[in-house]
Amino acid sequence: MTTRAVPRVYPALLRAAWGSAVAYRGQVVLWLLTSLFPLIMMAVWLSVVEEAGTAGGFDGPDFVSYYVAAAVTNHFTVAWVSWQWDEDIRTGGLSVKLLKPLDPFHHHAIEQLGKKLLIGAVLLPAVAAAAAVVSSIRYPVGPGTAAVAAVAVVAGFGLNLVMASAFSMLSFWSTQVHNLYQLWWGVGFFLSGWVAPLELFPPTLRRVAVLLPFRSSLGFPVEIVTGRLDGRAIAAGFAVTGAWSAGFLFVYRVLWRRGLRRYEAVGA
Amino acid sequence: MSFRIDAGEIVGFLGPNGAGKTTTLKCLAGLLHPTAGRARVLGFTPHERERAFLRQFTLVMGQRNQLLWDLPAMETFLVNQAIYGVPEPQFRAALDELVALLELEPLLDKQVRQLSLGERMRCELAASLLHQPRVLFLDEPTLGLDVTAQATIRDFVRTYSARQGATVLLTSHYMADVTALASRILVIDGGTMRYDGDLRALVERHAPYRLLRLTLDCQVQPADMAAVGDLESADGLAVTLRVPRAATKERAALALSSLPVADVAIEDPSVEDIIRQVFTQR
Amino acid sequence: MTGSQAPGLRAGTYLRLLGIFYRNSLLNEMEYRLKFWANVGLSLFWLVWAALSVRVYFRFTGTIAGWAYHEVLVVMGLFFTVNGIHQALITPNLARMTEYVQKGTLDYLLTKPVDSQFLVSLRHIGVHNWADPLLGLGLVGYGLARGGTAPDAGAVGLFAVLLAAATVLLYGVSLLLQTLTIWSVSSRGMDDVIEGLLETGRFPVSFYGGAVQGLLTAVVPVAFMTTFPAEALLGRAGWPVAVLAVTVSATIFLAASVFWRFALRSYTGAGS
Repeated sequence: MTTRAVPRVYPALLRAAWGSAVAYRGQVVLWLLTSLFPLIMMAVWLSVVEEAGTAGGFDGPDFVSYYVAAAVTNHFTVAWVSWQWDEDIRTGGLSVKLLKPLDPFHHHAIEQLGKKLLIGAVLLPAVAAAAAVVSSIRYPVGPGTAAVAAVAVVAGFGLNLVMASAFSMLSFWSTQVHNLYQLWWGVGFFLSGWVAPLELFPPTLRRVAVLLPFRSSLGFPVEIVTGRLDGRAIAAGFAVTGAWSAGFLFVYRVLWRRGLRRYEAVGA
Repeated sequence: MSFRIDAGEIVGFLGPNGAGKTTTLKCLAGLLHPTAGRARVLGFTPHERERAFLRQFTLVMGQRNQLLWDLPAMETFLVNQAIYGVPEPQFRAALDELVALLELEPLLDKQVRQLSLGERMRCELAASLLHQPRVLFLDEPTLGLDVTAQATIRDFVRTYSARQGATVLLTSHYMADVTALASRILVIDGGTMRYDGDLRALVERHAPYRLLRLTLDCQVQPADMAAVGDLESADGLAVTLRVPRAATKERAALALSSLPVADVAIEDPSVEDIIRQVFTQR
Repeated sequence: MTGSQAPGLRAGTYLRLLGIFYRNSLLNEMEYRLKFWANVGLSLFWLVWAALSVRVYFRFTGTIAGWAYHEVLVVMGLFFTVNGIHQALITPNLARMTEYVQKGTLDYLLTKPVDSQFLVSLRHIGVHNWADPLLGLGLVGYGLARGGTAPDAGAVGLFAVLLAAATVLLYGVSLLLQTLTIWSVSSRGMDDVIEGLLETGRFPVSFYGGAVQGLLTAVVPVAFMTTFPAEALLGRAGWPVAVLAVTVSATIFLAASVFWRFALRSYTGAGS
């Protein structure tokens, strides 16, 4: 399929992906339930400020706003395509997908998008309602900045998608890719803004973290929407996201072509 | 629906999809409660699933797998030995017999997932029989197998039942399984029994006619053949006529004398046709 | 269930079965050594990561809800222990439950003359994960050493009782959720729920305060799995907690067994 045809295919396939996400809505409810993790972190920070008053300029409401935004952002930016790639490549399911006139990458991307639309349809109204009731959830930014944050979320999803896919391509050569990706992801977990807003990190660590790809899919959009970044910092953030996306996309394409040659040669 | 099966019988269940064949089998194996009525197997009430009952039967389902997928079949055999508490000497004897009958020797060390469907089914049967059950419930045991593999399974079930005196209840889509194995068949449809008896009687009751297959030298008007039998089908010069079973010989002679016959053959209608007839005669 | 064998002999049968099952699980893994060590490496990495990340909180305060850094490490070590037990014992079975129902394997399991609960809940073991609980206990030891106080024999005994109760409790809760899959709920989703709930055990329950703390003690008994055993080691818990823990876990275990049997009746009642 030509690249130009891809945009036309998306709406139709997305409808199918939405349909199957709705069919498995029970799964989505479970998924929402399991997203306790950011709230755990929030609880810990609330205990900290209870004893210390403020932590690095953050008070209680700041942490609540930060982690609520983080939970939402994370839902939209995670791209769990790595294990699907892995399974496809190892079990030969890839052969079936290769017969279809759509690059498997888009197949995975659309499946993720379908889930995100459904979760978004539930999550966003819920958060809006919570923000109306709970006064500590506050985002002191105008609609323009909020829109920029939304763009940052989309960019973060894009980066996660190519990053996970680039790693997955190693499955053509090794069975341990999942572990490797988990390791990488573990580093990211720490440096993305999960454990603590990056502002609360020791300065050296913080300087490294803003240059790595992990913040793009969590801390960066959250910092925008909580009004903690100025124009320059936002531009720098997008530059980092863009650079890593381009880099991983390149690596993904190169490994994909080589891996495919190897896959077809083995005749799996 | 009510029936009784004696020890050592091989009984086949026939019926269209959704007729209740598998449901009946599951009730007898204790996997389903009958909503009404009563089932007794070997003196037990199946759905109570008493250990003593569970030890004495086996269930094989054609498209379901109980073998450990990534391991050689032997590992599943050992698991079943432990589950059924089969003492070692008895286990060895049963295993040797099954290996010989099913020709498993070359398969034992191969991973199950590397086996063909037919090979897997043979292993599946062996795994199910190591505890020497007195009753075998076989649900579509030949489903999806090629003709040779079907025949192998069929021969095995016949031999095994004869040797062990085991009772076999069998369902199959393949009429040949049932006709080759079962001395008695139960035809069920929509949960009711439409026929219970031996195969020959079924044929005689529902097909009191035979088929006269004629090859003619030239076209004949249907009216001219009416005296011989009812026209079943005609394809050019090949004509099939239905004749009363009792008058087969006379009608054949009549055909030879009154029609330009090049060749003649006498056949029984196929069991498929008869069964179809049973279902349509409501 | 009625059975002709003496109970002692039956227990022997079950132990032998466990042996065979776990041997199967081991044989199933072709690259066992590689995967095992990869898993150990990964677990160590997560352990160190978790311990370090806790330090970020303590940049701003000396104690959180009355817990010092080394004490939080003890809880975190127990979280890894319980999580390891979950991954080694529970997940491999729970994850297969949907398949059992959908592919009809459950029918086979029910025709076996062995307790069905035993077969569905203990049939498989995660052979790569067995070292995880030990690594978790390592972190517990490190936390204690850092605090400079060694627990006495009584505290260790109390801890052992609480950890055993925690394991039974985890098994019971998992079986309750696993049983729900008979009515066509995805078992992988269920496992995610358990994992998500366990995740709260990373920190002492008092970190969450008020209602959530009550919830994690009384409704979702995560407090019994990490906080209470840690308190035992730190000399903050007495025998009443152990009595409570044993009572709770025994109750949940029995409730889960009853629920399983009830679900089977519904499963086998589906036909007409």
